[in-house]
Amino acid sequence: MWSLSRQTYFKPQNEHIELHRKRHGQRLDHHERKRKKESREAHERSHKARKMIGLKAKLYHKQRHSEKIQMKKTLKMHEQRKTKQKNDDKTPEGAVPAYLLDREGQSRAKILSNMIKQKRKEKAGKWEVPLPKVRAQGETEVLKVIRTGKRQKKAWKRMVTKVCFVGDNFTRKPPKYERFIRPMGLRFKKAHVTHPELKATFCLPILGVKKNPSSPLYTTLGVITKGTVIEVNVSELGLVTQGGKVIWGKYAQVTNNPENDGCINAVLLV
Amino acid sequence: MALYNFKKIMVVPTSKEFIDITLSKTQRKTPTVIHKHYQIHRIRHFYMRKVKFTQQNYHDRLSQILTDFPKLDDIHPFYADLMNVLYDKDHYKLALGQINIAKNLIDNVSKDYVRLMKYGDSLYRCKQLKRAALGRMCTIMKRQKQSLEYLEQVRQHLSRLPTIDPNTRTLLLCGYPNVGKSSFINKVTRADVEVQPYAFTTKSLFVGHMDYKYLRWQVVDTPGILDHPLEERNTIEMQAITALAHLRSAVLYVMDLSEQCGHTLKQQLELFNNIRPLFANKPLLVVANKCDIKKISELTEEDKKIFADLTAEDIPVIETSTLTEEGVMMVKTEACDKLLAARVDSKMKGKKVHDVLNRLHLAMPAKRDDKPRPPFIPEGAKVGRKTMEVDAPKRKTERDLEMEMGDDYVLDLQKYWDLMNQDEKHDVIPEIWEGHNIADYIDPEIMKVKEELKVKDEEMQEIRQLAKQIREKRKMKIVCSKEKDVHGPRMPRTVKKVERKTLEKEMGGLGLDMTGKDAVSRFSFSSHYAVNARRSRSVTVLKKRKREASVAPTSRTRSQSASRPPRDQSGVRDPKMAKKAKKLMKSQQKDMNRQGKKGEADRHVFDLKPKHLFSGKRKSGTNDHR
Repeated sequence: MWSLSRQTYFKPQNEHIELHRKRHGQRLDHHERKRKKESREAHERSHKARKMIGLKAKLYHKQRHSEKIQMKKTLKMHEQRKTKQKNDDKTPEGAVPAYLLDREGQSRAKILSNMIKQKRKEKAGKWEVPLPKVRAQGETEVLKVIRTGKRQKKAWKRMVTKVCFVGDNFTRKPPKYERFIRPMGLRFKKAHVTHPELKATFCLPILGVKKNPSSPLYTTLGVITKGTVIEVNVSELGLVTQGGKVIWGKYAQVTNNPENDGCINAVLLV
Repeated sequence: MALYNFKKIMVVPTSKEFIDITLSKTQRKTPTVIHKHYQIHRIRHFYMRKVKFTQQNYHDRLSQILTDFPKLDDIHPFYADLMNVLYDKDHYKLALGQINIAKNLIDNVSKDYVRLMKYGDSLYRCKQLKRAALGRMCTIMKRQKQSLEYLEQVRQHLSRLPTIDPNTRTLLLCGYPNVGKSSFINKVTRADVEVQPYAFTTKSLFVGHMDYKYLRWQVVDTPGILDHPLEERNTIEMQAITALAHLRSAVLYVMDLSEQCGHTLKQQLELFNNIRPLFANKPLLVVANKCDIKKISELTEEDKKIFADLTAEDIPVIETSTLTEEGVMMVKTEACDKLLAARVDSKMKGKKVHDVLNRLHLAMPAKRDDKPRPPFIPEGAKVGRKTMEVDAPKRKTERDLEMEMGDDYVLDLQKYWDLMNQDEKHDVIPEIWEGHNIADYIDPEIMKVKEELKVKDEEMQEIRQLAKQIREKRKMKIVCSKEKDVHGPRMPRTVKKVERKTLEKEMGGLGLDMTGKDAVSRFSFSSHYAVNARRSRSVTVLKKRKREASVAPTSRTRSQSASRPPRDQSGVRDPKMAKKAKKLMKSQQKDMNRQGKKGEADRHVFDLKPKHLFSGKRKSGTNDHR
């Protein structure tokens, strides 16, 4: 049966490619060509790797490097399977080499005295923080001079150039009198806090800035730089004290430069 | 309502590819050079541009994906249902939703970072912000890996779906697997559906087209349906159910008389009753297939009763065999007629028909007298109509002859020629005869011309006589001149010198005014004009060339050259003029030579600054070939 229209072309439907292959087979030299093409691949890849230049080459080499590492690992795994290995699990926990057999383990007294020392440290306010030493930020770095006045001669205003936190109930002072300008674009409310043991990161609202290591002025202003200790709302995590009370605020220390990254990353202080 | 074309959906890239493409595009299409000492607003603008460019690219590509893929609410319910069956509506909507969310997230990221960049006071800070922004956007895309993969697979499958028009005339084939639906569609249309002895060979819908009564008809082949409740049906069967449910078509329920499909007639009847509700409002036909193995009359009483019942319910049952093609045409015509009637009925009941009916008027001529005036149908039309009828004996075609004779068959088209002398049919026709190409002389009107010629014969006789005489005389003249004794080579007439007197006499006789000095000079091509002096010592520069037959040139070759001067001397009066002419020539050529042209016809325009060598960024590499 043929149709009346002039153009009677074949409209491929569903699996027409596979059907064609089933009915007509493939080219007579198909397998030969396929084999040759696959064997040429190694040469072409090496030619490409040698001749590429520029950014493209950097990206390609990086990717290729990681591929090769994977290949090496797999090969090594296969090799390990073939050879016999020393079984390390047989040595029990706490086993001590011969020359240490005479020493005794830590006594209970030592444990108690350690506890007392820690309590004293906490009282003194000396915290064990992930970043003990941070680069101090000078005033010219953090505060920018804003010139005002009819002839732009007065230079008593300052604008904060780093990320800062202002509370919920914050209202500016009248613009004529405010000395420190904290621009809205640089105000952040949330921080990405990582729990060091769980290794999980949560986006938690900031409650306040506890201490800025560079200067107490920054602490009062709420400036957040690297190394600042902030207080975050951890009610999300559902932590409970031994007494049964729900913990909803904890301290965290900022680990990145927020003004460069656009976000505040912090590590929870447990 | 957007118009969707399932075959024109753009390829959905994988997430890795997507990121690579966009980032490399940003790197190529935005400026790359920036220095620390530039003004801060310039640095900011530079990096903001990159962030916005990346965001724009992502946004555009994702929006295109979202618009290309059809919204299940916008397309015909048949296709919506089919897509639900094949791809799962929820999964599909979720995937597109995720893409939409990603698009919005990327927009937000870009907005935030552009806002932050306004406070960037150093190149390092702006650069880090740009890096963070781009990284964030790419992370969002990385998370879309699964959705993108799924959408790509959907796109590929969607583009290969058969284009079924849900509104046009359709015949739908349904029944158990292996009953002969695909064979039927292969016979009736040009669709090439696979036919195999195992069940579920057809795994999806196929469409074929055919013509009947000058209209285009769709025939849809479905995968077989088994008899179990709707909930237990798998994807393949659901496609058939979807087609049954949504297409307004004539349904052809195909049954296997020989029970070779593996199901008894009773089971087939069961299935028929189960899917009866789907046949509501559709013209129905039962096709009893494989009748070459077993006819209805050869069945048992019970089975015969089945068919009798069906016929009693006004459902036509037609025996067919797709192998011998018996009954296939009948099924086709029955089904098409029924469907057409049903469609016309529904159109008549509708509201739109009145617009057309109001404008139609069938005029019946009023009877004048008692003379009967029936419609006149010419004989040829009657014969033609008869041949169009089904099951009329066809004339024997060449093909049939070929099949009969097998290897002995030779195609001999000359046996159909209509010649005056029938014996000459198989004569060999030469192509060239007596040096002439016969094809040049073929004239379909040759007989007519011959007749006309016969009439003119009388006059022609005299003219022929005269012509013959002229010819003879001319030949004589030639022979005479050939016999003339000429010493040396034969010179053409133009070389000979003509005496002035003879010239004057002849031309005067013909009526030309030969008085005056200039008259004669008209007939010489070198009279006014100088003859090249250095070429021959015998020929001198003369103002007027004297006609002296006695002064013969010293040598023949010289006389030849003297009588036909070279081109740069023809028309040139004197050396002064010659010099001027040469100067003119050279001055014209100067311009062409300077531009390196071959001549005055050379208008080639060279591409002195090809674009590919001068545009684009200059990376490492030379400018010679880039």
